[in-house]
Amino acid sequence: MEKVQRAVDEQAEIIYLGESSDFSVADADTDRRSICRMVADELGEPRMCDMASAATHAGVFYDMMNRLPKESNIHTAVVTVNMRSFTAEWIYSKLETPLRKQQLMLKRRPALWNKAMLVFKAYPRWSEKERDRLVVKHLRRQAAPPPYANARAWDVAMADSLTTAGWPQDSVAMACHYIKCFATAMDEDNPRIRDLDRIVQLCRQRGWRLVMHILPDNEEQMSRMVGQRLVQILRDNGRYVQQRYEEMGATVVNNQGLLPDSTFTERNYPTEHYTQEGRLAVAKAIAAIMESEK
Amino acid sequence: MLFNTIEFLVFLPVVTALFYLLPQRWRWLWLLAASCFFYMWFIPQYILILAATIAIDYEAGLLMERWNDRPRWRRWCLVSSVVSTCVVLFVFKYLNFCSENLVLMAQHFGWAHPQRALNIALPIGLSFHTFQSLSYVIEVYRGNQRAERHAGYYALYVMFYPQLVTGPIERPQNLLRQLHEKKELQADNIARGMRLVLFGLFLKMVVADNIGTLVDQVYAAPQDFGRADIVLAMVLYSFQIYGDFFGYSTIALGCARMMGFTLTDNFRTPYLADSIREFWHRWHISLSTWFRDYLYIPLGGNRVKLPRWMLNTMVVFTVCGIWHGANWTFMLWGAAYGVLLIVEKLAGSKNGRWRWMHVALTFTAVTLLWTVFRAPSLGALADIYGALIHGGGNSHLNIGAPLIVALAAFIAIDVLTRRTRFDEWCGRMAAPLRWTIYALMAFAIVAFGSVEQHPFIYFQF
Repeated sequence: MEKVQRAVDEQAEIIYLGESSDFSVADADTDRRSICRMVADELGEPRMCDMASAATHAGVFYDMMNRLPKESNIHTAVVTVNMRSFTAEWIYSKLETPLRKQQLMLKRRPALWNKAMLVFKAYPRWSEKERDRLVVKHLRRQAAPPPYANARAWDVAMADSLTTAGWPQDSVAMACHYIKCFATAMDEDNPRIRDLDRIVQLCRQRGWRLVMHILPDNEEQMSRMVGQRLVQILRDNGRYVQQRYEEMGATVVNNQGLLPDSTFTERNYPTEHYTQEGRLAVAKAIAAIMESEK
Repeated sequence: MLFNTIEFLVFLPVVTALFYLLPQRWRWLWLLAASCFFYMWFIPQYILILAATIAIDYEAGLLMERWNDRPRWRRWCLVSSVVSTCVVLFVFKYLNFCSENLVLMAQHFGWAHPQRALNIALPIGLSFHTFQSLSYVIEVYRGNQRAERHAGYYALYVMFYPQLVTGPIERPQNLLRQLHEKKELQADNIARGMRLVLFGLFLKMVVADNIGTLVDQVYAAPQDFGRADIVLAMVLYSFQIYGDFFGYSTIALGCARMMGFTLTDNFRTPYLADSIREFWHRWHISLSTWFRDYLYIPLGGNRVKLPRWMLNTMVVFTVCGIWHGANWTFMLWGAAYGVLLIVEKLAGSKNGRWRWMHVALTFTAVTLLWTVFRAPSLGALADIYGALIHGGGNSHLNIGAPLIVALAAFIAIDVLTRRTRFDEWCGRMAAPLRWTIYALMAFAIVAFGSVEQHPFIYFQF
């Protein structure tokens, strides 16, 4: 709510909705500006308000945008699209519970009603076992390249083959995380797609220009560890998002493949945390398209 | 399904309304289906365990009645039923603990141990419904209860949703009889039931859960807190567990009351007890009377010589401790109560003029023992008592004003209702005052109810 309030207080004209990728996390960074700030500087636009917070996704973005007053100076919304957020590993993650709690308080309803929903736990409360079961169930439904029957079989086979090949346990885990985080087939039933659809609708109603930017993932490492087939799936999913929302009238900045391995800061889990060079490259790509389509 | 969730707020009125709308002959089926649904909300497959114990004990009840003139066969029937129920309890509740300790022992003595520690999940409420089943077969064996011929009614007696997972542990003479009775829709029952549900939710969500957030901080890192804060956390835990368990029992009573059923009261101002003996007459009454009737009295009760009585007391309270959980801390907790009761008996009668001092002493002993109960292991227990002795941490507990007010309200209501129950006490008030209390409680739940997830403490048993 405080981010919504800040956007109102600052009389923002452009709002930027993002997650942890927005921020500087590398100790070596000398430029600690967020992607949002970098875009603002590139555009020479001081009234761009950063509404990013860690681990959020399109569902939360929608509720934050919806809480903004209908009468405001906002004309553009820049929405971050994280390809991992479409997969079970994120949808059923531990972070989803606090996120859903946060989302409840953002709903456009009387505050006491929202609080009642919160205290009566009107959000998913999966146990650790249930989370694991849901992720496995989801992976079993996802098609995988031959010879694997599904993404779960791919994940298990990958773990077995890399362990047999003598890979260190951390690397085996990382390769399997890549499969869990990206081996999914997009369709309109995906909860994040539904959230993005609602964002498009909301922007239409409010008369806001919508810019979506797809975050780059570490395709070099992914290819090295799992193979090019997973990169292909990721790219296909990116194209699905791009095509779907361009058809709906949004500007989509597809930054997939933009960044080299060296600009990613995390080595033990697939994330979109970038060095200052990475953030600047993403920001420039967003700014360039926003500028060209003005 | 948890009582303090949105699902339950839908479940309760739907189940109650349909119960009254259906003709009497279908009500048992509706309640049984609703109870199954309630239980399966947690982990569906565990209903099979419940079904197995229900089938065994139902059949045992019928056989014992059929073999009325064959005492030996009846006894064998009782023993088989009790053993099979206890085996289920042992496998799901104590086997992990035994295997862990065997592995530890083997490691300690350097024995070859092919056995690995097991990891069997405990079905929710297992200890409660197994004790309720045992109560039925023992009462049928003793001739105090006729065997239930209708399998559906017997299943409903074990599975009646308000008290299925955390009690009160009902006797067949009370619940089974009521299940057969035709219940008419009465405004008074609905009003009293709703009052109890509201009060129970207040105790759980405002008092117990908010205290839980504070107490968890201290138990997670006792060395970070000073002595005063550790003492405060210990005292607060006494109110957390009381609010939590009393809250659950009150909601259970309320849900049953709305359909016209009266369940056993589980608490009667336990912290006003002036002795440990008295405390156990007021705390978790359905369990303490269960142990009294099915273990303590068969062992000879208090009609035996002092050494034998001491042994019986130790056995009963150690078993009571183990019933709570498969952990050395629970065993220690139960055994400590046995020792205190023996000391109390040896010390002789109390002087009535010093009653409040005895109340304070009893509360102190109970609070110190709740610390044993709360500690996840003996090591953690040593840590908290170590921190209490040495002190030194700089962190402080931050109790907000709403919690202080809620706790004061809880204590005040507990004292005021010591000879009655909340629903009766409230019902005697003038309407404006009564509605003010409802409004304040409802507001407190919504505005100050904890947003953290604290499962009911007794769920783990």
